[in-house]
Amino acid sequence: MGRSNDILLAVENLKVHFTGDGPVARAVDGMDFQIHRRETVCIVGESGCGKTVTALAILGLLKQPPAIIADGRITFDGRSLLDMPAAELRALRGKRIAMVFQEPMTSLNPVFPIGDQIGEAVLAHERVSEVAVRRRVNQLLDDVGIVDPQRRLGDYPHQLSGGQRQRVMIAMALACEPDLIIADEPTTALDVTVQAQILGLLKKLKQEKNMAIQYITHDLGVVAAIADQVYVMYAGVVVEQGTTGIIFGNARHPYTVALLNALPTKKKRGRRLYSIPGSVPHPAYRPMGCPFHPRCEYCEPSCQNAFPALCDYGKGHHARCPILFAARGRAEETRA
Amino acid sequence: MLAFMGRSIIQKVVTLFFVSVISFLIIHLAPGEPSQIDPLNPKFTPEMVERMRTEFNLDKPLHVQYMLFYKNLFTGRIVSWRDNQPVLGKIWERFLNSLPLFVVGTILTWTFSFPVGIRSAIMRDGVYDKSATFLAYLLISIPGFFFAYILIILVVTELHVPVIGMETFGVTSASPLVRIMDRTWHLVLPSILGATGGVAVLSRYVRSQMLEIIGQDYVRTAWAKGLSSETVYYKHALRNALLPFVTMFGMILPGLIGGSVIIESIFSWPGMGRMAYEAILGRDYPVILTLNFITAALVLAGTLISDLLYMVVDPRIKL
Repeated sequence: MGRSNDILLAVENLKVHFTGDGPVARAVDGMDFQIHRRETVCIVGESGCGKTVTALAILGLLKQPPAIIADGRITFDGRSLLDMPAAELRALRGKRIAMVFQEPMTSLNPVFPIGDQIGEAVLAHERVSEVAVRRRVNQLLDDVGIVDPQRRLGDYPHQLSGGQRQRVMIAMALACEPDLIIADEPTTALDVTVQAQILGLLKKLKQEKNMAIQYITHDLGVVAAIADQVYVMYAGVVVEQGTTGIIFGNARHPYTVALLNALPTKKKRGRRLYSIPGSVPHPAYRPMGCPFHPRCEYCEPSCQNAFPALCDYGKGHHARCPILFAARGRAEETRA
Repeated sequence: MLAFMGRSIIQKVVTLFFVSVISFLIIHLAPGEPSQIDPLNPKFTPEMVERMRTEFNLDKPLHVQYMLFYKNLFTGRIVSWRDNQPVLGKIWERFLNSLPLFVVGTILTWTFSFPVGIRSAIMRDGVYDKSATFLAYLLISIPGFFFAYILIILVVTELHVPVIGMETFGVTSASPLVRIMDRTWHLVLPSILGATGGVAVLSRYVRSQMLEIIGQDYVRTAWAKGLSSETVYYKHALRNALLPFVTMFGMILPGLIGGSVIIESIFSWPGMGRMAYEAILGRDYPVILTLNFITAALVLAGTLISDLLYMVVDPRIKL
């Protein structure tokens, strides 16, 4: 597609395992994805599928031990993050890759004013005067839609609402105008109206600041609203990837199809909402073969033995399921 | 804030009143009276016992005794039953003896516990942490009196410095410099001994508190900002980890009056702890009750101070 030189972040075959007293938990088990400059990429999956662990691995924030990066490469702007000296990685964190966390209520330090916490992100990477930092923080708070920033600078986190705190977190992430923002379910803990505001804000800021966004979520509604490219994750691997249009219009993997079926829409009004039977397998006890086969409607005997490869369905659309195309017609027949 | 102080002080005065009543009752409910302390002594004739009872108002009803006692306490006229000396003067004298021990011990405890505990938490499960843990449990488990003798043997035989009492007998005629050095040497062992147990316990608290905070989301946020580990640990984590210790800090105030019976006995230190112990043995009610009352007042003052300190260090708390 001629965009390969535009790749900002590439994760290849990333494997993150957790060791402890019990068996090894393979939280991320061969994860591949790419983010191009100025692109919004959504990583979608249920809780416990390895989304957050992947994000923390990129920033080098995993506690090792218990975590071990068993295999894989993470390349950011042509440089390998996993081989980078700690000091260089630290210089990169917050400066070129910033992160917005899931829990705005607990992600801000309760004993420091928010202005100081944002200013700190600037001062960690740039030599600027106090006055300049203050002006920048003011501007950032204004950018993220905090009313009367001059007055809110000295506020402590507990004086702000959840939505305001998440805005502050975003301001903090924006402080050094990063190339990539990793947003880990930033709206999960918020009311739906606030959620829409935050999404709108992220979209607007992305345009203004020319950033790429890696958006981690389990909410397909959010995906439809912001994503350019979607990666559906299950049990530590990508099971389907493609543009937003392809994923919503022409999904090939039974898991993606099941997620879409579980999404409430106007057409389904008044009907019982579909839910996927069973639950995500524990990362230490994954089934043989396709990890989704015990919950899959279209499971065939071969699914229980061989781990499926990513099949190319054209136009950048890949799915880790070779049989669905044939099987789906049959399933639709039986349902009708 | 002022309203809080006012309310708090009223509450504490009420509490203090109940403490005074209960402690007075407990003392008088306990078997034995000052007049019966030595019943086999042939000099203690029934007439004499009766005279003592009248002298000390022990023949009056309890509530009258209570009123008399606290009237004397607040007018400062209360005297010890054993030597007829003013109680407050006695306490003040002993307090001045105990004070250096308390101050040096407390400073040692707090200045050593924090660096040790914080480092242990940061290097969790490393060699440093494991050695510190081992040492802490060793010092917690070893009885104070036993440890004291080990220290005394070591110090006296190796360093040849005096360790018993507050100063060497007859040193008063020496030059001021010699006297100061002599006093300092006498202070070293008891305060180190007092501090070791404290460091062992407090550093464990600091470690566990710090470990809990290091796992918090906002510490992860600090890492994600690209801050240095010094800033993350010593600014973001430590500031939060310190909060519970504010309460503890208010609680050390009563230690001012308590002293330590064991350490003072081992080192023949004429401090508060020993005075209280001797007063209990001698059923010297005025001394016991006065000490008890001052301790209660200090505990209550300590809690008030921690409340106020909390407001200073934790922006979430508004009084």
